[in-house]
Amino acid sequence: MAGRGGKQRISSRKGGCEQDEEEPQLQAVLVADSFNRKFFPVTKDQPRALLPLGNVAMIDYVLEFLTSTGVQETYVFCCWMASKIKEHLLKSKWCRSTSPNTVHILTSDLYRSLGDVLRDVDAKSLVRSDFLLVYGDVVSNIDISQALLEHRHRRKIDKNISVMTMLFKESSPGHKSRCEEDDVIVAMDSKSQRVLHYHKTQSLKKLHFPMNIFHSGSDEFEIRHDLLDCHISICSPQVAELFTDNFDYQTRNDFVRGILVNEEILGNQIHMHVTTDGYGARVSNLLMYDSVSSDVVRRWVYPLTPEANFTDQKGWSCTYSRHNVYRGSGVTLGQGSQMEENVLIGWDTSIGANCYISNSVIGNNCTIGDNVVLDHAYIWNNVQLGANVVISHSVVCEKAEVKEGVKLNKQCVLAYNVVIGPHISVPEGTVVSMHYPAEEEEDDDEFLSDDAAAGQSKDKVKQKAFNPAEVGAEGKGYVWKARGLDDTDDEELSHCLWGLTLKPELESESDDSEPDGPDDPVIPSPEMDDAKVFQKEVLGTLQRGLDENISCDHLVLEINSLKYAYNITLQEVMQILTGVLLDLPLQHHSSQLTASRYVAVLLPLLEKWAPVFKNYVKRSQDQLDCLSAFEEHFLEQVSHWPAMCKILMTMYQLEILEEEMILRWFSQSVTSDASRQLRKNQGLQKFIQWLREAEESSEEDGE
Amino acid sequence: MELQAVMMAAGGGSRMTDLTYNTPKAMLPVGNRPLIWYPLNLLERVGFEEVIVITTKEVQKMMSTDLKLKMDVKMKLDFVCIPEDEDMGTADALRHIQPKIKTDILVLSCDVITDVALHEVVDLFRAHDATLAMLMSKAHEFTETVPGQKGKKKAAEQRDFVGVDQSGKRVLFMANEVDLEDGLSIRKSILNKHPRMLIKTGLVDAHLYCMKKAVVDFLTDNKSISSVRGELVPYLVRKQFSKARSSPKPKDDTDEQSQTKSDNSPNNELLISSRDDRLLQLAQERSCWNDHHGDMSEAYHGGKLRCYVHIMDQGLCYRVNTIAAYIEANRLVPKLLFEEPAVHPSAVISERCQMGSDSMIGALCHIADKTSIKRSTIGSSTTVKEKVRVTNSIIMHGVTVEEGCNIQGSVICSNAVIGRGSDLKYCLVGCGQRIEDAAERTNEVIVGTDQLMEI
Repeated sequence: MAGRGGKQRISSRKGGCEQDEEEPQLQAVLVADSFNRKFFPVTKDQPRALLPLGNVAMIDYVLEFLTSTGVQETYVFCCWMASKIKEHLLKSKWCRSTSPNTVHILTSDLYRSLGDVLRDVDAKSLVRSDFLLVYGDVVSNIDISQALLEHRHRRKIDKNISVMTMLFKESSPGHKSRCEEDDVIVAMDSKSQRVLHYHKTQSLKKLHFPMNIFHSGSDEFEIRHDLLDCHISICSPQVAELFTDNFDYQTRNDFVRGILVNEEILGNQIHMHVTTDGYGARVSNLLMYDSVSSDVVRRWVYPLTPEANFTDQKGWSCTYSRHNVYRGSGVTLGQGSQMEENVLIGWDTSIGANCYISNSVIGNNCTIGDNVVLDHAYIWNNVQLGANVVISHSVVCEKAEVKEGVKLNKQCVLAYNVVIGPHISVPEGTVVSMHYPAEEEEDDDEFLSDDAAAGQSKDKVKQKAFNPAEVGAEGKGYVWKARGLDDTDDEELSHCLWGLTLKPELESESDDSEPDGPDDPVIPSPEMDDAKVFQKEVLGTLQRGLDENISCDHLVLEINSLKYAYNITLQEVMQILTGVLLDLPLQHHSSQLTASRYVAVLLPLLEKWAPVFKNYVKRSQDQLDCLSAFEEHFLEQVSHWPAMCKILMTMYQLEILEEEMILRWFSQSVTSDASRQLRKNQGLQKFIQWLREAEESSEEDGE
Repeated sequence: MELQAVMMAAGGGSRMTDLTYNTPKAMLPVGNRPLIWYPLNLLERVGFEEVIVITTKEVQKMMSTDLKLKMDVKMKLDFVCIPEDEDMGTADALRHIQPKIKTDILVLSCDVITDVALHEVVDLFRAHDATLAMLMSKAHEFTETVPGQKGKKKAAEQRDFVGVDQSGKRVLFMANEVDLEDGLSIRKSILNKHPRMLIKTGLVDAHLYCMKKAVVDFLTDNKSISSVRGELVPYLVRKQFSKARSSPKPKDDTDEQSQTKSDNSPNNELLISSRDDRLLQLAQERSCWNDHHGDMSEAYHGGKLRCYVHIMDQGLCYRVNTIAAYIEANRLVPKLLFEEPAVHPSAVISERCQMGSDSMIGALCHIADKTSIKRSTIGSSTTVKEKVRVTNSIIMHGVTVEEGCNIQGSVICSNAVIGRGSDLKYCLVGCGQRIEDAAERTNEVIVGTDQLMEI
């Protein structure tokens, strides 16, 4: 009995040991810098990781996510405004001794990209085993344990071949939380979940997959466009080493691309994990900020909800009532004010009477006047809004002041300390900052440098006056860019703040109307003889010549090359060319054309392309060939006979045909009834008569 | 009548000429029945009463003289012979019989052996009001050694890439590896509509299609298409996502007709508009059903042309168009024909013959003493003398196997004579060939000289 018990204990201890081996401490690398300036100029005053989202700094969401998913040690890498981030973290619950997640803060001004960070990770050999790689602006509640298990399993079985597992969330194209700039297409092996191809789809109409990705021996692949890249990846320590080895890798994108392309050389693979029910998104621009904020308020990121106080701030409380309305403590609401739905209001904020607020987040200590209308407005802390202010789809940063009667149209940004108004309407897409735009250009190279430089230039700027037309009579701030003028200069910025606007309808329509093009060829039949193909080609060439206004010389060149390609004799060229030209108006205007309409369309064409004809119709035989093609055409188009004389007349006048040849053609002995009928046409008769007389008279003149 | 069945039985079997030299493909014996019986039986089982059989004069003659086939098939066979000398493709053949087509059609090839529940395909066709519904199956590895094939199987054939949507039923993409040299490219708009596309390789197309009547009408207008599988099906699949040019304009029938008449150019638009279209459309509008989720657009994204595929996960599906497939089919059909006695009642079999239950013996056979027959098919009127061992082989009708032969993994065509004490391993013996006594052949194709000239 005792013996058995002992055995059990031993075995259980053994099991425990194994488990310890299997699951070493989970580490994470948190990159608290975006290495881009998409939130500029807002991030001039505050690093992106500290921007409030649902009244909580973004980095707190990431840290909460990491901790809840079981990370025990986190390295936070900061660069831009590192001291602020450090200060924030030291005050937060993460740096308390009770925190299950030990947070180390590493700062350096030398980090210029994700690559630099990971190279530093490698140099300092910070990671011991698989680690999580996230950015400081990721909001997520995904349970990664399943993905981690799979990752470890793969690593165990294939001896470190798989270096990374990327996390994706299923989400249909056009979904709000999908960032257009970050849209990816992934080709994967259905069975092994291996990533075969990873590409951004922005502004692509056709997606291209190289063939070699299908040679992996599997017989089932998946092409997925329904994935949202959560920017969370499980990396093996090799990832850091690979970044060191390939010093040109700057971003994760470079890395993924490099691994996939060099798969055969390096033998490394990347896998993916798709979650259907978690939430994960990166706040990469203001549009995403808008979507993620409203998702937080709508509780999609549960348990990271606004009222949860997961940052554990003292004296903080928030009530949650239906229609997703959250109120912090000390909020006062004036009479007749309505909070429609999805509204979050921080503590000690007071709201005047008869306000209407929907889908908005309002920070702490704000003062909002009467009759204010807010829709999709993001008001940060300590903001003052005067009476009769209207704000929609805009962001107002800390300590900004919006005076009475101001209207902020869509996608405006008021950066820190800006004052606007009173009584102006700010056009769509305006960005106002206390920093002068030129200043940004000045220290363009060193935008990652310390605050001191920024401070210095601020002094310089102070001298420049504010433009009252833009910011109002009492306004303070410089307009960075009006959205309407963004097409030429400052392209970077126009992409930045709000990202690309989502216009799904517009885009899909343009996609649809895209001509079938090469994708949908009219299948060329094998039996079609060369002459027919040639005819088609000539038709196409002329059509194009008409559409694109190609000069006659070029047309001749093209027809000549076609002639050689299809081995067509000169005689046939003539006949086909004539036929095609006479057909052209019919092609354009489908079928029912009266003879007069037909002439009206054809004659300009004839005149336009007379040089082309002259190039081919030189000898008398050529003219006869041309005429016979002419006859052939009209034999089929009986209704157009009245047009004949006009066309012949024009061709005669354009000196394509000589009178002698026309007469000879006319008097040719004809065999078929139809041809005889044709020659009896009145107009034609008259024309011939006229020609004869003209000839006679000219002969007479000559004599 | 909802569907008219059309059987394509004019194929010559160009991929197994050694076998089809004397016997047209449709009449090759598989499990002692002509190959064409299997698809005919498939149709009969689901209740078809009439089949249009497109074939050659030769096959028609053979079929009408084959009494057994006549007895077995109760459907009315409407033979349409196509001239042999003209190189007609399957689509050409369809065009040829267009006047006979009154309804939607079910086209199948004479070389399909399958136990598929046919309604699966037809239900797809009905449920989605599809333009085309087809049958595919996972490709099978052929395990048996193929006579005359040296070494391993030749380099893997060019794979077909079939892209289906998430449900695995709608065909979104179709191409052969040959055409994809510079990579596979897909329009983003397709992926926006069907964000999750499964690309499958390693499927066999069973060459069984349900098609709208309009497709056949379309064929008559487009004479350039000559093959169903090679051109028509890929065309239809592609066409699903190109914008219909004519649809936005409201047109009444007379206008349309006059236009098609006056336009001499081939009518490239596939006009899928049947009489009850309006009613169907109403039903679709009023219904809350949708074929996709993720966006708010109407069912099928407003597309009128739809192609579907039923992919068989399990069950039997073979196209008998290579020798390897022929051997494999013969090995497997005894499982299909369970209601049939393995040994024909008129065969005379010695009691001292060892016969495995997985073998079939045809009518009027003589099997002598001390023979052993395992996993083999023996055709009618064949004589097997004493001490012969036949394993894993197919022996067609009228063959004489002399004493003491050992035949393994081979195909012996009709009327051949195998000399005394011969040892044949993995050989193919052509029609009427005589193998000398005590011959030892391994992995050879033994055919007449005239046949060799042919190749």
